[in-house]
Amino acid sequence: MRRPVLLLLPAAIPVVLVLGATVVLGLAQSLGLMPVAGNTEFGVDAYRAVFASGDLWSSLIVSVAVATVATAIALVVGLATALAVRATRVGGRMLAALAASTIPIPHIIGAAAIGLLLADSGWLPRLLGMDDGSWPQLVAGPWWGAVVLEYAWKESAFVALVVVSSMAADADEISDTAAVLGAGRLARLRYIMLPLAAPALITAGAISFIYALGSFEVPWLLGRAYPESVSVLAYRLFTSTDLAVRPQALAVAMITVGLCLAVGVAALGLLRRRSVLT
Amino acid sequence: MSARTTVGRAGALGSQVSLGVWFVLPLIPILLWATARSWTFPRTLPEEWGFAGAADALADGAASAFVSSLILGLVTAALATPAGAMAAYALAFGRIRHHRRISLLLLAPVFVPPFVIVMGANVALLRLHVPPSVGLALVLMVTAIPYTTFIMRSAFASYDTRIEEDARTLGASPGHVLLHIRIPMLSRAITASAFLAFLVGWSDYVITLLIGGGAFVTVPIRVAAAASGTGNEALVAALSVAAAAPPLLLLLTLNMMSRHRTSSPRETAEPSAFTPSSPVIGARI
Repeated sequence: MRRPVLLLLPAAIPVVLVLGATVVLGLAQSLGLMPVAGNTEFGVDAYRAVFASGDLWSSLIVSVAVATVATAIALVVGLATALAVRATRVGGRMLAALAASTIPIPHIIGAAAIGLLLADSGWLPRLLGMDDGSWPQLVAGPWWGAVVLEYAWKESAFVALVVVSSMAADADEISDTAAVLGAGRLARLRYIMLPLAAPALITAGAISFIYALGSFEVPWLLGRAYPESVSVLAYRLFTSTDLAVRPQALAVAMITVGLCLAVGVAALGLLRRRSVLT
Repeated sequence: MSARTTVGRAGALGSQVSLGVWFVLPLIPILLWATARSWTFPRTLPEEWGFAGAADALADGAASAFVSSLILGLVTAALATPAGAMAAYALAFGRIRHHRRISLLLLAPVFVPPFVIVMGANVALLRLHVPPSVGLALVLMVTAIPYTTFIMRSAFASYDTRIEEDARTLGASPGHVLLHIRIPMLSRAITASAFLAFLVGWSDYVITLLIGGGAFVTVPIRVAAAASGTGNEALVAALSVAAAAPPLLLLLTLNMMSRHRTSSPRETAEPSAFTPSSPVIGARI
């Protein structure tokens, strides 16, 4: 390889161009530079406006809460799946195949599927015989149940596959040795399996959280009209016929990406402390 | 001892079954609606079976949406797979300065939500008069590069270059080594990487919607329109099957192919689409 740097360029140039444009022009637009219509002054007016209206606060609370709960469920179910996959041969393989088959399904299809399952006239209330109005409002409901479950469903399979493929092959041997030495089920989970799975759980958890925080189609389809998720709020402002609110859309977008980067940096810090990344 | 093992087995089976239900349950109503002709509330199963949804979907332009999705998936895979593979090769063997920072840069699109990329970058694409199809391909490529780069990076980590050196010593040209040794030996990782890049283009919604500017009506866009609008569950289900079935069949085919080839003795430990060895797989998909 005479010029290894040249080999980097086909990937690095598009990434730098697109992410550079995203951050630089996103910030510029949010600060009132590059107005789409009329004259706006340079300043933090757009940020002030989105915070002052209260919309941003409620959107941030909703998005962070939904992402947190969904990621927590995905981590628990994903870890349980990874352990169950290792438990027996035939059943484990079948479970792994079922979990893997949900991975390539697009999130918008997942959202449509969860809608058909959990809506008032969905399949689950039919199956459980709760057709008398006693079914809780999960789709577009006050607790964002359908949105949380869509993320939890898709991301639990992702967590499981990351944990399964990253855990050392000798994890079972270590666990068996501990069992022979008298460690109970909970002790083995707490002192062997969890520490071995921790790097995978941190990585998968951070990626799931960031996805759930910034995804648009799932809260748009299954969420509530008010308060909106940050993505839906930004989209509504961005596509508004009132072009003067365009900087506010970009302000919401920049705040969201700041939050995502902070979570990413925190996860990298956690991983580095465990000296997983060198 | 045996009593404890039996209890453990039953427990394992119980958790496997309940977790299996968790993964399968949301897909059942889609399959039922896609094969229903009429299905009134509150019946648990359709009264009449048929393909009313598929007929509606075809009348709704599902065929051209399918072609658009296919094009986006293939273009994304064609752009992001070689770019990711080349970058991974340079990072693995090139003794690049700032190696860690460049790895993080190529991973960075995972940390930036697609809607943010669209809103930030769209103004540049518009002012530079980039055609929507080119802008769309560029942004989809960028969102796929983390996956392709890091799958290939982990494949190169376990790649033994001594075979290449032997071939070079015996007189093979660099091009010959690339075509007849490196690509065949890494075929599973390349396939997995192309599959994930295809999925990025195939599954995308918000980038296609806003940067494509209405020129690309893909299956996900049809699904979103049907699911948010008409209340025609059979149409939603039929379109969902059209969006979910091709990647599932592709995954199944790739998995069977790679299992078939695992018998080959020179196979190195590479990730397949089924067992990702890179932590970034599947996040956005």
